[in-house]
Amino acid sequence: MRTNSLVALWIVTGLAAGLAAAPAAEEAGAFSPAFIAAQQKAIAPAICLLNFTAEVESQRTGETQKRSTRALGLIVSPDGLVMTHGHMQSDKSDPSNIRVVVGEGEEDKEYDGVFLKKPDDINVCFVRIQGEEGERFPCVTFASDGNLGLGEQVLLFGIMGETLDFARGALTRMISAVIEKPRTTYCIDEAIPFGYVGAPVIDSRGRIAGVVGYDLAPTEGGELYVRSGHPLVYQAPLFAKYIQNPPTEDTLEADQPIAWIGVFSQPLTDDLAEYWGLPKKGGVVISTVVEGSPAEAAGIQRGDVITSFDGMPMRAKKNSEIVGFTKLVRETDVGREIPVKILRSGQPVDISIVLTERPVSAKDAEEFVEETFGLTVRALTTDVRILLNLPDETQGVIVRRVKSGSWAHLAGMRPGVIVLRFGEYPVTSIGEFEAAVNKVKEARPAEVPVFCRVGARTGFFRLQPRWE
Amino acid sequence: MRASMKWLAPLALAAAGCATMGGPGEHAVIRAKNKVIPSLVHIRPVKESFASGQKQEYVVEGSGFIISPDGYVVTNEHVAGDSTQVRCVLFNRDEIDAEVVGTDPYTDIAVLKLKVDEANLPAAELGNSAHIEPGQTVLALGSPHGLSRSISKGIVSVTDRYLGEEGPRPAPYNTWIQTDAAINPGNSGGPLVNLKGEVIGINTRKLSGADNVGFAIPVNAAREVIGAIIEHGHVPRSWIGVRLQEMTSKTDDPSQRGVVVADVDPLGPAAAAGFAPGDVIVAVNGEPVHARFEEDLPLVLKRVADLPIGSPATFSVRRGEETQDIAVVTMEESDYKGEEVEFAEWGFTAADLTPAIVQAARLPSSRGIVIAGVEVGTVAAESGLRQGDIVLSVDGEEIANLAEFQERYDAINDAGKRLVLLDVKRGALTRFELLKLEPGAENGDEAAGEVILDEEDGEEPNGEEPNEDE
Repeated sequence: MRTNSLVALWIVTGLAAGLAAAPAAEEAGAFSPAFIAAQQKAIAPAICLLNFTAEVESQRTGETQKRSTRALGLIVSPDGLVMTHGHMQSDKSDPSNIRVVVGEGEEDKEYDGVFLKKPDDINVCFVRIQGEEGERFPCVTFASDGNLGLGEQVLLFGIMGETLDFARGALTRMISAVIEKPRTTYCIDEAIPFGYVGAPVIDSRGRIAGVVGYDLAPTEGGELYVRSGHPLVYQAPLFAKYIQNPPTEDTLEADQPIAWIGVFSQPLTDDLAEYWGLPKKGGVVISTVVEGSPAEAAGIQRGDVITSFDGMPMRAKKNSEIVGFTKLVRETDVGREIPVKILRSGQPVDISIVLTERPVSAKDAEEFVEETFGLTVRALTTDVRILLNLPDETQGVIVRRVKSGSWAHLAGMRPGVIVLRFGEYPVTSIGEFEAAVNKVKEARPAEVPVFCRVGARTGFFRLQPRWE
Repeated sequence: MRASMKWLAPLALAAAGCATMGGPGEHAVIRAKNKVIPSLVHIRPVKESFASGQKQEYVVEGSGFIISPDGYVVTNEHVAGDSTQVRCVLFNRDEIDAEVVGTDPYTDIAVLKLKVDEANLPAAELGNSAHIEPGQTVLALGSPHGLSRSISKGIVSVTDRYLGEEGPRPAPYNTWIQTDAAINPGNSGGPLVNLKGEVIGINTRKLSGADNVGFAIPVNAAREVIGAIIEHGHVPRSWIGVRLQEMTSKTDDPSQRGVVVADVDPLGPAAAAGFAPGDVIVAVNGEPVHARFEEDLPLVLKRVADLPIGSPATFSVRRGEETQDIAVVTMEESDYKGEEVEFAEWGFTAADLTPAIVQAARLPSSRGIVIAGVEVGTVAAESGLRQGDIVLSVDGEEIANLAEFQERYDAINDAGKRLVLLDVKRGALTRFELLKLEPGAENGDEAAGEVILDEEDGEEPNGEEPNEDE
């Protein structure tokens, strides 16, 4: 149910309110009960429970099923902006039926929530509480720097399980590692319970340094860490801009386009440098040049070593240092001529390259939901071509979902199949697929052979429509 | 598309008459058992595996049966293939070593020769698998889980099950006898017999996770393979480089005759001759071919395989409304898998490429070798080399095959080189993998090879994006 009475203005700040209420922990590693109680009193009102419907995808058919789930939310601005962990959104499916429960026990109030777009560069999501006009909510304020130290004790506030009436709880943990690259990251020493994902992290001075997260976003080198399963602290400066300027379609799309060079690379290790007779100064070794890419157009060759890009020296000797090159490329202006210094067979060569906008990825690819046969298909994007090692001559659309019980399902089609021909009609794009389906629907044949690529092979599936 | 089939082995047979113990059915079972069981062989091969990056030996247990008085024994390829020695125990408990005469992985058949001088061994009688029918009683004899001289009884469930070309063990050239006689690991290679005590099949697989769903190679399909192995040491077959599908993959219209070309290997003779997917082959050398259902495919595939190797053949192909004759010069079908070799000082094993690997990796030619395994803790493992990587060149020089790689390997080791650079293809990407042959050099604590960008090399069937490229 919808509340319309909560108009109180509670602003909880870790620094202002928190410190006013309680002293800083007296010594490192020992949060006193009084300190914890004072922090809880100040911060717990800003912790809310998010109930929502998520879509879970079936591995077999690619179909999605709805599931009710919940997450911890943290109110980060008095007008009802809630931050939570990035797992609230999966792939392209936004959560729905979001209900935000503010307050505990008999004092709780439930609101509708609206999901805002998920940022690309930090693995958090934002929800806007739909309160009454002018309604103010208790919220937290983060420390401006978010720095933590190795061995520092931290205090986390989270939500207990349903059987414990979602009571607010506290945990102490320690910063077990400080990782410097690709950006400063803090590891938490032990696993944390489910209700603490996204929880505020309070340092020994009573400041809210950040929130509990897991993997980094891909744009910040997330793939290096994504499998660690280790709890981390997302320090406040990473998401501060989104609290000030909450992400919407407009704000995110207004960002400059992501640039693309079209190479895969590896670091110039000292051993590789020795082997090639190059100075052991690091560099970016081009291991693959993508066909049709700006790199290919600029004449970059496999085996070239990039030593300088747009005036910035490239000194990668380790895998983790390649991320710096990746990031630099992404943030480079599209369309500008970029000077690049390379070593080719040991000889310095200066080239210039004009980067293009990154090709559409599968995640953002055009999708077409075809109801009659039960197929949802996507355009074949460059990233999928590389992933599946598809030759250029393979033109088609890739099956994303197969509706259970549909004619496509009965024919044995499944996600990942690439449709090359539908009936008699070649399919090289979403538009052609749609046109082919429409022609078949007009002709209403008793059977429709669909020519497809499945893995490394091609073959036919026979659809047997039962026209009404 | 189909559940994965796990092979295993056959069964045993029994029979012989103790009329006082039951009715006439039991009498027949015992009589059949008594007829065939003297030819039953318990087989313990020592096999080689290269999957861990080093050559390792291990022992398996299987079954087989004597087919000639001078000591030829039939079993499965997956029992006796890749073995360095084969120990056999006959039904009379005599222990005799055998040599492998030859194997045929495409039908999973191996022929052994017992090392005996005598020529009066009890040979099993081979029956006629064309005359079996569902419901008839059969016996499976063999060594389930190593328990020799075991026999189980069941019926023929289906006479012509098609298990297809998919999966790790394609079986293109035969259908299978499906039986509910209990078949367990260790039964492999043993006989499936009828109540006359004649061998009608070779027990080979079971469906894991199911109850009493076992499969035997029909003896009529095996007979020709056995003969070829004894004569040539292997089964020579013609190959044109197409994958075929039954007509019902395109249409259920029974008047449409032929067999559908589903895929064309770009490096095979059929591609060179102009075959295209979707073509329908209606005749080979003027003789009509037809596979309406998948069970009909092995006959057509065998027809192609039986063409003279290296000779022109005429395929009548319907494309759209037109039928044309296409001349193709056949090639010999390559080995099922390439020879494997251990390169111990570099810490990996490798194999020659096969057309299947070349096609799956979309290589422009069949030059190169494939890494069969990488041993943990070796220079290869440190460099980042992985199982399935395809090595295209060594120190900048292309290599054609395992023999050429072996030459380069020996020369580099003899020269005492410290660093060796491999050009490697992994999926769509190529990489430089540097092998450091001397330990203790600087930079040793970094995993020099892990590319950030291709961590998710594994196929992602629903087409999610790969890692970002820059």
